[in-house]
Amino acid sequence: MRALLLTLFGITLASADPLTFDTTPLGEKDRPIILRTYVPDPGLDPAVFPNHGKASKSPKYSPNSGRDTKGEYGMLKVIPAAIAVNHGPALSYVWDTTECRLLYAWQGGFLDLYPYWGEKNRGGRRSFDYGARLVGNLFYLAKPIKRERPTFIGYDLSDKGVLTFRYKLGDKEYTEKIIPSDKQYSFISYLDEDKLEYKGDLISKHQGFDRNLKIKSATAKAGEQVFGAYGCIACHSTDGSNGHGPSLKGLAGSTRDIEGGEPVLADAAYLTESIKVPNAKTAKGFPPGYMPPYQLKDKEIESLVLYIQSLAK
Amino acid sequence: MKHSLLFALFAAPLVASPYKVEDIKFPAEVPPEVGAIDFAPDGTLFAVLRRGDVMRAKPATDPANWKWELFATGFHNGCGIDAVSRDKVRVTQMADFTEATDTDNDGTADQYRIFAAGWGLSGNYHETNTIAEDGKGGYYIAIGTASHNGPTAEHTFGEYSKFGRRGRNFASVKWRGCTLHCDSEGNLTPFCFGFRMHNGIHQDSSGNLWCGDNQGDWRATTPLYYLEKGNFYGHPSALVWDEKWPTDKDPLRTYREDLDAYNKHRTWPSVQIPHKEMNRSAGEPYEIPGDFPHFPGQMLLPDNNSKRITRIMLEKVNGKFQGACTHFLNGNGLRSGNHRIRFSPDHQQIYVGQTVRGWGKEAEGLQRITPTGEEPFDITAFNITPRGFRLTFNRELATALTEKDLKFKSFTYQSKWTYGSPQENKADNEIKSLKPLDTKTIEVTLAGFKPGRIYQLDLGKLKSKDGMEIQNRLFYYTANQLP
Repeated sequence: MRALLLTLFGITLASADPLTFDTTPLGEKDRPIILRTYVPDPGLDPAVFPNHGKASKSPKYSPNSGRDTKGEYGMLKVIPAAIAVNHGPALSYVWDTTECRLLYAWQGGFLDLYPYWGEKNRGGRRSFDYGARLVGNLFYLAKPIKRERPTFIGYDLSDKGVLTFRYKLGDKEYTEKIIPSDKQYSFISYLDEDKLEYKGDLISKHQGFDRNLKIKSATAKAGEQVFGAYGCIACHSTDGSNGHGPSLKGLAGSTRDIEGGEPVLADAAYLTESIKVPNAKTAKGFPPGYMPPYQLKDKEIESLVLYIQSLAK
Repeated sequence: MKHSLLFALFAAPLVASPYKVEDIKFPAEVPPEVGAIDFAPDGTLFAVLRRGDVMRAKPATDPANWKWELFATGFHNGCGIDAVSRDKVRVTQMADFTEATDTDNDGTADQYRIFAAGWGLSGNYHETNTIAEDGKGGYYIAIGTASHNGPTAEHTFGEYSKFGRRGRNFASVKWRGCTLHCDSEGNLTPFCFGFRMHNGIHQDSSGNLWCGDNQGDWRATTPLYYLEKGNFYGHPSALVWDEKWPTDKDPLRTYREDLDAYNKHRTWPSVQIPHKEMNRSAGEPYEIPGDFPHFPGQMLLPDNNSKRITRIMLEKVNGKFQGACTHFLNGNGLRSGNHRIRFSPDHQQIYVGQTVRGWGKEAEGLQRITPTGEEPFDITAFNITPRGFRLTFNRELATALTEKDLKFKSFTYQSKWTYGSPQENKADNEIKSLKPLDTKTIEVTLAGFKPGRIYQLDLGKLKSKDGMEIQNRLFYYTANQLP
């Protein structure tokens, strides 16, 4: 779709393409996309937010009587003024403009904006549950630090859109840049000129928003819905064009070359394994560890396999 | 049979739409959720889309063939934009006012800088902001409230107030529900208080500052406000951010219990616009330039929740603005979602930015309105007199008007905590006298004519001397003052 937009409109773009209705947008390793949105708080220590206000539960309110009613409004686990950046499956991170620091990082996907952006033709937002969902494997969470209150200045983009954040502590200005490394659960950061390679471990796995599709019996048509609902198109095309992952066109029934292994026949067992345990075998030419394991229901997986098989020719 | 068909075809132009409405297309698959639009001095139109992108294009005649370019990206629900130049925009997004500049002339912004920041963001979906230029290199910024149909985050951007959190629409973080002034250096100061959702703010050519708001809690109906420093405009939550308001006092509760004190404290709308009949949700008010062919100098007020744009005729009475409203455009191919207005650089066309995403049926995009001919037959001046009204038509009337051609009613509104308020104290106002001043102007005196009421005028099917049917037959005048 991104390539299609470029050719259709003859636009030469120095940064990423425009966002589309796709609720699981993905950048590329050397050409990130930037999203300001209500990013999820995936379990950060509250002490990481010393410069934020502290909200509290509030009594439920009846607009008719103008008075309180039973119950309380809870709070949403989102971070209001952070910047989310995605370098494709290689790295996603959230940098906060209040605390002026990296808050967390993950690999294998970016954000699922479905709860906030909704569907193309409805745009429905989920009333008390509109925070974006993480997609991928979380491997870094910021720890509390003691320092004076920072002031966010802004950021600069390189020719390909890589960000350098700028902020102040007192009168002194600092920069920070975060880029993917080639390793799993890892990124490289530059604090001014100081280069640091962070290497962590898996903290938690995330697969976006649960669309809760109710599939009675597995069909290729239902599989197409699952494919759309989970934003699989972000990596897997259905027309043979290249993406972050192999195209689904002509995949089923073909013989697949595997990184560091024997070729395999893409039968139902292989397709099922590739959805359930995507890193058991890595298709040749694609990086390992990119696709997060999706915990789909059996009927969803069966439907997906039927859908992929329907794209065999 | 054939003759009557021919006659119908021939007669059609007399009632044809005075406006051509065109749908300006964005690239396929780009969600056309237009948060705000603005023309750069070189005539490039910029549009900030709510998912984060800023697109730009030189307007083309063919609405389906604009060469859109992605100029900047990464804004959260940008709903105010100033196109400073072809290479620089300033956007109010949820958390801040950011300037994006293309410093290396490659066509896209590479430098993003905070231009102004200081208002809070609770994490509620409803907290959008928009701007009007102040004519001195600075801005007025309308800071919207949160909705009780959504929560706040645990860790808010900016200070949190538990009293500000109360109510249907709320102002739990700093300066929500306020209008701020932002000087040319980006320094922010609160300007006035008490807004629910003033999704659109505009400084006219005489330097007067205007905003609308959305009918709802503490908004009996759709208002048009004239903004002055320090005033309170009636939505109580924001008072927690007014330094004059005691910190231990819950404004919502205070005014719920004492509507008299509320009515004394608040500045009333210059024009109250019946929401069902005229405008359900005001977008950005915008003065019609003097060289636009229709209704120059009057004000447009887009309806965000109907396929309409309201036309407002203002006057100053006893030093205060008030006036009348009717439709500028009602249907005719206009979409709903109308909330931003810009005139083309030659002032001959109107661009309307539209979005309602997440609120009702989708109505997203950009439309262009072009007059197709002369100004339609209508009332062009609606003035109050000590005992009634003076109405000025823009064409000579076919026949002299009689009492049967006009019907006046009046009513009041009391804003309170409920979502909108009914029309109350309804009365019919009989015409006591009707006097033509010339072939285009009449003066009516009314029975029971009093200030503090909204007067509804229903017109008959009037015709002009040259055979045009009257465009609008429904008008409302807000008589805060009698001269």
